[in-house]
Amino acid sequence: MIKLKNVWKTYSGNVHALKRVTLHIKPGEFVSLVGQSGTGKTTLAKIIIAEERATQGRVIIGGWDITDIKRGDIPVLRRQIGVIFQDFKLLPRKTVFENVAFALAVAGAEQKKITTIVPQVLRIVGLEKKSARYPDELSGGEQQRVSIARSLVHRPKILIADEPTGNLDAINVQGITELLLKINSFGTTIVLVTHNPDVVNGLKKRVVTLDHGEVVSDQQIGRYMI
Amino acid sequence: MIFVSFYRASTFALQNFWRNLWLSLVTILILTLTLYSISIVLTLNYVTDQAIRIVKEKVDVDIFFDLGVPEKQIIEAQTFLKNMSEVKEVQYISADQALENFRTEHADDADIQAALAELDENPLQDSLIVKAHQVESYTTILSRLDQSEFAEIIESKDFDDSQEVIDTISSASNTITRAGYVLSGIFIFIAVVVVFNTVRLAIYAQSKEIGIMRLVGATNWFIRSPFLLEAILYGCIAALIVLGLLFFSVQTAAPYLNNFFAGYEFDLMAFFRAQYLTVFLAELAIAVLLSIVSSMIAIGRYLRA
Ligand SMILES: Nc1ncnc2c1ncn2[C@@H]1O[C@H](COP(=O)(O)OP(=O)(O)OP(=O)(O)O)[C@@H](O)[C@H]1O
Ligand SMILES: [Mg+2]
Repeated sequence: MIKLKNVWKTYSGNVHALKRVTLHIKPGEFVSLVGQSGTGKTTLAKIIIAEERATQGRVIIGGWDITDIKRGDIPVLRRQIGVIFQDFKLLPRKTVFENVAFALAVAGAEQKKITTIVPQVLRIVGLEKKSARYPDELSGGEQQRVSIARSLVHRPKILIADEPTGNLDAINVQGITELLLKINSFGTTIVLVTHNPDVVNGLKKRVVTLDHGEVVSDQQIGRYMI
Repeated sequence: MIFVSFYRASTFALQNFWRNLWLSLVTILILTLTLYSISIVLTLNYVTDQAIRIVKEKVDVDIFFDLGVPEKQIIEAQTFLKNMSEVKEVQYISADQALENFRTEHADDADIQAALAELDENPLQDSLIVKAHQVESYTTILSRLDQSEFAEIIESKDFDDSQEVIDTISSASNTITRAGYVLSGIFIFIAVVVVFNTVRLAIYAQSKEIGIMRLVGATNWFIRSPFLLEAILYGCIAALIVLGLLFFSVQTAAPYLNNFFAGYEFDLMAFFRAQYLTVFLAELAIAVLLSIVSSMIAIGRYLRA
């Protein structure tokens, strides 16, 4: 599903954020990406969603070589990959429903499609009763659920989560992790970037460790070890 | 799907419009001023062109013949003149006809009527009124006539040379238009800068939304279209306002102008009424073009980043 072949990313000023990264992630896998701060995890996620381009190497998503993706094709890619972030990226002046509907609206979906899909994904994340609330009327964990719901509207084959639990307390971390597992059980490939040893160790899934931009360990049932 | 997207983009555009109402109003104001100054320049151009056309049309030469010249010779002279390519028309006015015209023209003037009644013979001469296609040709026509056999039966020529009037109008009009173009140019420049800034501010205010739109897979066109629509909306409103302003300006100025052009085929208001759709479309085209160009620059700069 995700293939990186000898990927390098060099930012201006000769910062090598990624060095000779080769990684194969199969459909339906759940991969945790760990490593110290500044070691290139976010950069890797950005390359997968074509927000950054690899300086060298090839990037293939679902059989589609996006290394030299055309600007006009990026939206098509983005609709196949869900992304969630530590800071949720919700629109404060839109309700939960509208925030989720937004992702469908920008893709030009019909109103009918919106009114069927949005409640569905809200039910998956357990927020169907709070669809009329505004983000600041929700807890951090609930806000992250909204952003997960939004990432699901296009039924993505891949979900990239960059430190989704970074701002949450233990209970909510647990909840979000379970939600990700649930989504993974539907067949969605998940890449989870995290600093949280408990999460990684509890998952008992594949763990890829980066250090200074390089893959230093890749274990099928891994543990957090830095 | 295109319809749905258009509807959503319009909603975003209207939201932007209201959110920065003051900025929107200033933008419309400056677009209005720009359009208005362009329109005034064009109208002035039209009016002076008409004035010159009318003055030129008024120019003719009256050729008076000696008393007692046989009509046959006058007709020959008429044919001679008519055969010149520069001549547009030659009208023969016999002495009797001239007297009759004079009488009817002064029908209300009792003194003149009394004086006319005293006359026992017609003091007026037979004449030809010559009109040329171009004002510049009269000298040629007259000198050719002087060298012809008809020179000796001609008593006098009355050439009312309006060249001076025409020159005055042209040079005044040139000065006014040039100043008008400069002024319009300045306004266009200001309008582009203002629209550019308004759209850029709207984009900054929305930068979070735009970032999220891109993350969830919005196309650049989807992101761009609300801002473009917003700019087009400014253009449409400005064009409507200018149409109203022009209507009132023309209505105010029309009586004076029509007075000036009294007796000639010229009615600014009628022209405006007949052409208002064209005028509106032209205003709209200019306004929308201005808005689109400046907002495209603003959006392009942002989306390239
Ligand atoms: N736009 C950029 N320009 C220049 N350097 C950058 C840019 N983005 C990231 N970097 C550098 O690339 C390296 C990797 O950054 P990245 O954000 O991928 O780290 P990370 O593993 O996500 O860290 P964290 O765990 O703190 O989020 C860092 O040294 C960072 O300073
Ligand atoms: Mg990071």
